[in-house]
Amino acid sequence: MPVLDLKGITKEYKLGKTVVRALRGLDLGVEEGEVIAIMGPSGSGKSTLMHIVGALDTPTGGTAFLDGQDLQQLKERQLVALRGKKVGFVFQTFNLIQTLSAQRNVELPMIFQGIRKGERARRARELLTKVGLADRVKHKPNELSGGERQRVAMARALANDPEIILADEPTGNLDTESGTPVLELLKRLSVEDGKTVIIVTHDPDAAAIADRIVRLRDGAVCEEVDCV
Amino acid sequence: MFKDFFLLAAQSIMHRRMRSWLTVIGVFIGITAVVALISIGLGLERTITDQVASVFGVDTFIIMNEDTFGPQAHGPGGAEEYTLDLATLRAVEGVKVAAALREQNGFVEGGVNAEGKAIQGIFPVMGLSPELMTEFESFTGKLEAMPGGRLFEPGDVEVAVLDFEVSQRLGVEVGDTIFIAGAEGAELNVTVIGIMVPPEKNEDALEGGFGTQFSSSSDGDTISVPYEAMELLWGPADDVLVTLVRTEPGYDVDEVADRAEETLNARGSEISAVTYTDISEVIGTMTSTISAFLAGIAGISLLVGGVGVMNTMFTSVLERTKEIGVMKAVGAKNSHVLTIFLIESGLMGLVGGIVGTLLGLGLSAVASSFIGRFFGVEMAVVASPTLIIITLLGSFFLGAFAGLWPARRAAKLPVVDALRYE
Repeated sequence: MPVLDLKGITKEYKLGKTVVRALRGLDLGVEEGEVIAIMGPSGSGKSTLMHIVGALDTPTGGTAFLDGQDLQQLKERQLVALRGKKVGFVFQTFNLIQTLSAQRNVELPMIFQGIRKGERARRARELLTKVGLADRVKHKPNELSGGERQRVAMARALANDPEIILADEPTGNLDTESGTPVLELLKRLSVEDGKTVIIVTHDPDAAAIADRIVRLRDGAVCEEVDCV
Repeated sequence: MFKDFFLLAAQSIMHRRMRSWLTVIGVFIGITAVVALISIGLGLERTITDQVASVFGVDTFIIMNEDTFGPQAHGPGGAEEYTLDLATLRAVEGVKVAAALREQNGFVEGGVNAEGKAIQGIFPVMGLSPELMTEFESFTGKLEAMPGGRLFEPGDVEVAVLDFEVSQRLGVEVGDTIFIAGAEGAELNVTVIGIMVPPEKNEDALEGGFGTQFSSSSDGDTISVPYEAMELLWGPADDVLVTLVRTEPGYDVDEVADRAEETLNARGSEISAVTYTDISEVIGTMTSTISAFLAGIAGISLLVGGVGVMNTMFTSVLERTKEIGVMKAVGAKNSHVLTIFLIESGLMGLVGGIVGTLLGLGLSAVASSFIGRFFGVEMAVVASPTLIIITLLGSFFLGAFAGLWPARRAAKLPVVDALRYE
């Protein structure tokens, strides 16, 4: 059974008076442990798809199953629980809380799950070690390089041991040198930990680590060979 | 989890140190004013009740006309006279000493003038129980007769003590006899046993106590006789100004006062027995009304402080829109976001409350010493624990309340929009 199963997904939202049809009948299935790269030009619906997969937003039409649960049927409270436990986000702009140290940033998702302080701190340090930042736990985001910040963000995404990692342009704000360890880490999560990794990207290097590339155009998956 | 939210809120406040302090200043100015005014009010109340207590002691009460001090009192307008059965009062259980003061205008004849004619006139005649001078000196102040004379002693009846001025006008000295005519043909020849020291020469008598009211302030033309002589001249009449009662040791002064009031009123008097407790209550009501009024005005500045907190929180929510989006994306519930922001605004209120309380108490101590010096009294400085606790809780809730609206807005931000916010 695929961990993610999308069928005929549509998403419309209003921008002023015009109705934007961001997704127009998108089908996508992702197996557990797979690394998927989603590519496509701006406005093709990549971000909207990310939001729906991450339970941040609900589709207008179609069926969306995440880990066997029908997203359409879930209440807000259940969606909150879902994105707290099943999904880990990595953003292009890192989105770390500037006032908190690396360790506290990693602890944040665990705070909202009510995990005890000692357990939290232990796991946060463990994850920071895993991403190669054992010596940076007390640093604030503005004391870290771009690559280090993104690795803190990845440790944060892993905090509640989710099944799916959603990375939205993870190397978009990084040069090749600092982007490479981030991509290697994403690949390792799939290979070693069996996580499902979905990467939205323009970066060919990022696409290169994927098991499969899904191209989007005009709110749907583009099956043609010359799709870019 | 609450502790973590508390830390998150505190970190956010510390991060915006300058703005947080400005907001806190807005709060503590109001709190300072309120705490200072209430504390000064409490100090004033304590000072006055202490003064009253030092005059009254714990075992004394006053009997007044019920219109002067009682449930039907019709406001200020001076003491009303009343009739009194002193013997009945003295028989009430628990009464140790009772002393009364009454006043009439009477026809008085003194010595003879240069032409050999008797000097006569209408003068205020005051009847007072000798116990007033022996037992209730804290009320009368220190009364003093000129050398060669004396004041009343128990057992005196047909004697008189004259104010200095009236003794001059009547041309009498200690040892002379004067004639007083009372009501319905009653008349009495009384011996002058003493002449009061003139007020200007007797500064002690002017200082404190109610004594000033008895002799010094009555223009120096009063002829004082013992209470019993007054009974002989005028009989029982509606002319008693005030009665002081001391209770037996072991009796509760309020109970004895109630008993005396019931007993006397059952016999047709219209009096109320006023204890230290009654007076304290009246003073308390008065001062707390005044300080509540002043604090209410100062409360307006608190409102302004609250609006300041609200403004800061709105700015904070706007600034942290993306942060809110991130928190929600990593699993924060709306209630989590709401709680964090409420704690943040509540904390600013609380810090304002702490600073404001300290400054307010300091200010009230300084103000009290100024007021005390101005009026020549030792002003009590009161730091009421109740006031402090209420202020601190109140300031936290003021902050939280002011933050409610911004925090709700933060909590309800749609996560996708918040994440997209730049």
